[in-house]
Amino acid sequence: MINYHPSIEILTDYAAGSLPLAHSLCVSTHLEHCNECQQQIKKLETLGAHLFDQGHTEHRQLSNLKDSFFKRLTEEPEDLVESPQANKKPVNEDVMQWDDYKIPNSLRQFITKGYNELNWMRLSPSFKIATLYNEEGGAQVALTRIKAGAHMPVHTHTGDEITLVLQGAFSDESGVYRKGDFINRDASHKHQPIVTKDAECICLTVLDAPIEFTGWFARLLNPLIRRYHPHSH
Amino acid sequence: MERAPLLQPDEQRLTDISAIAERRDQAALSRLFDHYVPKIRSFCLAAQPGANLMADDIAQEVMIRIWNKAHTYKPESASLNTWVFTLARNARIDYLRKNSRHQSDIDPEYLWQNIVDENADPFKDAQHKRDQERIQQGLNKLPPDQKEVLLKVYLEGKTHKEAAEELSLPLGTIKSRVRLALHKLTIYIKR
Repeated sequence: MINYHPSIEILTDYAAGSLPLAHSLCVSTHLEHCNECQQQIKKLETLGAHLFDQGHTEHRQLSNLKDSFFKRLTEEPEDLVESPQANKKPVNEDVMQWDDYKIPNSLRQFITKGYNELNWMRLSPSFKIATLYNEEGGAQVALTRIKAGAHMPVHTHTGDEITLVLQGAFSDESGVYRKGDFINRDASHKHQPIVTKDAECICLTVLDAPIEFTGWFARLLNPLIRRYHPHSH
Repeated sequence: MERAPLLQPDEQRLTDISAIAERRDQAALSRLFDHYVPKIRSFCLAAQPGANLMADDIAQEVMIRIWNKAHTYKPESASLNTWVFTLARNARIDYLRKNSRHQSDIDPEYLWQNIVDENADPFKDAQHKRDQERIQQGLNKLPPDQKEVLLKVYLEGKTHKEAAEELSLPLGTIKSRVRLALHKLTIYIKR
């Protein structure tokens, strides 16, 4: 049962196509688990279609554009027809199950085999992080992997953070978060997540700016975290 | 051109899309071109005023996708307008991603492909039709300030934050206008 969903603002921006791609990645992953938000997106897309349909129509002559389009279609049809798998990386379902976890479709552009193939950086004996992608001048998209029952060091966010639970569960002062839950924290939030005892927890995180650890020992980690965040170079 | 004289424009377009899927009918594609290309162009120009070349590129890209993907369109799960809107939205995202200063490695193709209604049923279809009608009727009755924000987000591709900056209004005002609008359109029901 999913309890934490993206806000209606985030869903609207996603359906409209105005949400940054890194955030859209989290929404898309959430949608794979959440039928309720899927239905919401369908309605928001219907709204988009009506606005699209009512948009101004300019009275520009489009016959040149049309001629050249159909000329292309007739003369180089093979360039325009994509083979069904043309742009897709090969996905082998057996291999996808390699480490017993199913990789969400939205993440298959980054993870072809399984979570174990990623380049995990160990920040503490129980806490690892793997960067999927650093947006130029923007967000960091990463996976965090925390052992069953482990505490993550207390930290604050210097920017917004979206966390999406992919496997396992964790909790903090505000609640318990399970597979598919979408958690959006702003810069003022300070928390210490604890992973439930039954299983390790893997999360997709998007950070607009590096997190900062606040405990005296954990503060030693800050330079490490910054080194892996695009904003800090 | 074999064209049944009595079809409504909407029905004609549905006939056209299946003619493309079934027998690669270029005349049908040509009719859809005439109808949709001006809309796609103005959708693109709303986001990037004056960018006519970009609008032409994206419009052609969408027409190619219509040509290639006509067989994947399912009339029971979305109206043709909705399907074309999502193609145009995705093509615009893709274009901006590949051509902007901040290139992104995230391939949008993976992000918007998942919403397929696999267990569509007659009840849901009827529900979907009702949603369609409610949204269309409600849209015409929205106060201008609420509609303005929706247009910014959907057509101009602005986030809520950017819309707030552009209209010099607090983010909270933008959020509440969108929420009110979505509530009236019965899209948003508070959880």
